[in-house]
Amino acid sequence: MFEGFVHPALAAGAGLAAVPLLIHLLNRQRHRPLQWAAMRFVLAAYRRTRRRVQLENLLLLFLRMGAVALIALALARPFASGDSALGPLTERRRDLVLVVDASASTGYREEVETVFERIVERASTLVSALDGASGDRVNVIRAGAWPRSLGWMDPDKTRAVLSDLSAPFDEVLDLAAALGEVQALALEDAAGSGASGLEVRLLTDLQRSSFAGLLGASPDPPLDGDAAEGARAEDAPRLAEVLEGLSELGVRVLVEDLGPTSTRPQNLSIVDVRPVQPIHAAGGRVEVAVTVANHGATARPAERVALVHDGNRLPVRRLDVPAGGRVDAIFSLSLDTPGAHTLVAELDGDRLAVDDRRASVEIVPPAVRVLVVNGSPADDFEQDEVAYLMLALEPLDADGLPGGALLAPFEADEVTPDFLVSPDLDLRWADVVVLANTPPLPDSVVEALEKRVAAGAALVVALGDRIGDLSRVNAKLFRPDGSGLLPAELSRHVVVSRRESYYRVAGFEEDHPALAFFSDEAWRPLLTEIPVYEFVRARPLEDAKVLAYLDDEGRSPLLVERSWDRGRVYLWTSSLSRAWTDVPASPKTLIPLVHEWLRHAGARSEPPRVVTPGEPLRLLVEGFPRSPELVRPDGSRRPLDSEPEQAPDGRWRLPTISGEETGRAGLYAVTVEGGRAEPFAVQIDPREGDLTRLSPQEVAGLHPALELVARGESGSEAGDDGPQRGEIWRSLALAALIMLVAESLWGAWLGIRRRVA
Amino acid sequence: MGATQAGLDPAVLDRLSHLSLVARRVVEGFMGGHHTSAHRGSSVEFAQHRPYAPGDELRTIDWRVFARSDRLVVKEYVEETNLSCNLLLDASESMAFGSLDWTKFDYARWGAAALAHLVISQRDTAGLVVFDEEHRRKVPPANGAPQLNAILSTLAEAQPTGPTAVGSVLELLAPRLRRRGITAIFSDFFDELAAIESGVKRLVYGGHEPILFQVLDPLELSFELDGLLKLEGLEATGVHKIDPKAIREAYIEEIRGHNQRLARAARSLSVDYVRMSTDQPLDGVLAGYLAKRSARTRGGGAR
Repeated sequence: MFEGFVHPALAAGAGLAAVPLLIHLLNRQRHRPLQWAAMRFVLAAYRRTRRRVQLENLLLLFLRMGAVALIALALARPFASGDSALGPLTERRRDLVLVVDASASTGYREEVETVFERIVERASTLVSALDGASGDRVNVIRAGAWPRSLGWMDPDKTRAVLSDLSAPFDEVLDLAAALGEVQALALEDAAGSGASGLEVRLLTDLQRSSFAGLLGASPDPPLDGDAAEGARAEDAPRLAEVLEGLSELGVRVLVEDLGPTSTRPQNLSIVDVRPVQPIHAAGGRVEVAVTVANHGATARPAERVALVHDGNRLPVRRLDVPAGGRVDAIFSLSLDTPGAHTLVAELDGDRLAVDDRRASVEIVPPAVRVLVVNGSPADDFEQDEVAYLMLALEPLDADGLPGGALLAPFEADEVTPDFLVSPDLDLRWADVVVLANTPPLPDSVVEALEKRVAAGAALVVALGDRIGDLSRVNAKLFRPDGSGLLPAELSRHVVVSRRESYYRVAGFEEDHPALAFFSDEAWRPLLTEIPVYEFVRARPLEDAKVLAYLDDEGRSPLLVERSWDRGRVYLWTSSLSRAWTDVPASPKTLIPLVHEWLRHAGARSEPPRVVTPGEPLRLLVEGFPRSPELVRPDGSRRPLDSEPEQAPDGRWRLPTISGEETGRAGLYAVTVEGGRAEPFAVQIDPREGDLTRLSPQEVAGLHPALELVARGESGSEAGDDGPQRGEIWRSLALAALIMLVAESLWGAWLGIRRRVA
Repeated sequence: MGATQAGLDPAVLDRLSHLSLVARRVVEGFMGGHHTSAHRGSSVEFAQHRPYAPGDELRTIDWRVFARSDRLVVKEYVEETNLSCNLLLDASESMAFGSLDWTKFDYARWGAAALAHLVISQRDTAGLVVFDEEHRRKVPPANGAPQLNAILSTLAEAQPTGPTAVGSVLELLAPRLRRRGITAIFSDFFDELAAIESGVKRLVYGGHEPILFQVLDPLELSFELDGLLKLEGLEATGVHKIDPKAIREAYIEEIRGHNQRLARAARSLSVDYVRMSTDQPLDGVLAGYLAKRSARTRGGGAR
């Protein structure tokens, strides 16, 4: 009968028709008892009137129930097919879904207006052609990285909403998601009939990358095999599936091109701002590359590129950017302090402003604090267990003092095992604890180490001749169930004569950050050719990872890693001194090994400081954040009201900044009372800078569900093929009114008749 | 009911004392020897001749007139009577209904007590039968203050219980009432009309003069009830859920029809029928009835 409802939820109100029936039934339960003498007359009267009274009451009940049901149905605004039994009662109604491309690329300004303003104006024109009095309604979907449906509205309200739209999002267009929203509306509209009468119009700039999923081999591939193109290609099956679904529902998407007149508009954009080399420590010079892409068809000579570093503008560079090419501008700057540093690259403005400026935040990690426990100290440098290690961690300056000109991202402190048994032991300072050839430790020390590792620190256990009986070491540090600190059970001390032979590293985890340096063929021998004369054979736990192993018969592990609660434990099965291996004596091996390994071991996890528009984030700060406030790119502020939480590593986690807050690209910051501002950046997708558009021929061949219409064409004929249907709420409301009047009259007449009697 | 031994409201009694003065002049035989009876019967004082009719006793034929005129006539004499008044009170459960502060039964026994007081205070005899579907208590007719006390205490003790069977009770009582006279029946007459008519006929044929005092509650007549009701019949007639407004019209037709048929039957038997609504002043109803009766007596004895 009905094919659907404008407000389906209200249709459930028809169930309220049961209310009069319930009241009737409840009243039947509420008869007042009364003793009566003249029952013979009552019974005679009842027998005479029973049938008539029942009919009268039934009619009254029917009128009440009918009126309620009809009112509820009228409010739900049902619609019916023109060829159904209710056809003569229908009023023709149009349901228009406007998919408004609100991606960043529509901010392109051509002459006086932007493409987005043109899209909004066109949307208003289309809405104006609708008749709200006839029940026409509109659903505007603002399409960005995800669709924002404004819900069904009447044309007047839609026009008011459209007039408030002034700028696009700083996002890419996820066309599959937007049309998926349309598909959901069409399914709801079809309501099981299998066909939808929705009119769908996509108002877009026809940016090529938005349709990449349907294009196949592009005749004109964009910039150097753009990874972004590949990323959107992942959406291809999804977009094709959505379009198939719309086709099955009989829905055609009229695509109206409102983009720039050129098929390949000129546009320069900054697509990347990054350090040339990873930043491991504060101090020294850092080179930052700013990548500028020219998406147009003509070269752009001498384009000015600026970089603002922590608010300081660096000298402008001039770049010649070839057509369709990318060029890096290299800036040299100094990052002297650990923490977050802001980088904002800028171009001279062009027609698409949003990609002419790109902000980034780089984290300079603080020095890794290493506590080295020397189990075999000696005055002789060669005999000391950790002398080489300490030298690698803290290079000497010209005067022979640690902390020299060479960069070393460590703060190292050397102690003897006695220090560990001190009652004042506080390991919270250390990011990494190295046990170098230490004798078996007291239980209290083991417990303190376990506690520190559980909180996130790393423990390195290196062996040597002072460790004593292996079974005692195992008893202290190893448990088969994995609850002990050691990642492997020590089994046997293996010794080979230095004169006759030695062991070497037979293999290692080349992808592991601790050893990745040696994956380069040039550096590989530094690790694989270094002699190892003594080691302890170990049996790793199942969940332990052998990072490097020796070339003995049993392929014995040299370096084993295992996660332990929030921290990690490493077992170096040889010594850190020259007693068992030549590794310490080889600076080219020792320094990269120790630096890469311990920096990785002591690194703290940092939440991302660069997000895409609409992506939430949560920052970590050192001290308790008092009165945190979010500072947006436009300078406006908003207090972050939620309570901060303390992270396991002692830092404080700021309240989550929602995606609603990060909608605009640019540099943000969170300020706290008495503390430094914590910046973060929101970057637009670099794909948005490529404004290359689809040709009409390409659109025609994309999918049968997509139909290109000329700019300004009404396209109303598109809806003529669909099922003719309309709303019948007026008829229902009239019927409800008639029923209410009839109920009133009938009730009044019954009352009068019964009263008069 | 009032709090006195007589079970009669003192105010009513007070009004009835005045009523009794009026009644002396209008109720025939109430004061035996001072008033002539409207009944024609055998006595010492000749009243008139009338044509013989089959069934008349032969000793009443005036043979001298037959000898002179060859017509058979019988002699009738004015009889000096002492009034015998039997009070029949319906104590069925239906009489327990009352929408006011008193029930129909209260009202009926006030009426019966008033009549008993009136009759006995005029030195006539009065008796009482309390019945439901059969007679329950009986005070044989007699006169004097002790008799009045006996009647009033019986009235006071009576309680309305049991089903109604007015007609069958009247048929049962008619041959048992030894002294002919007025039989005042106080009841709501919620019984089969044919049975009532049959019982009244038996009384009439037995030489009694029945007076039907139909006692009804005003609510029973108006049926002005609101809301949905679960009516519980007072004489074990079951429970019925009704919408009073829905059946009011039919109900009123039913009860009015019943009352009209009862009145019509009484009229056809030349029996007085008095409808009493319990919201009416009792003395007014009785005075009105006695006044009508007085007027009728003065007007020629036609009832």
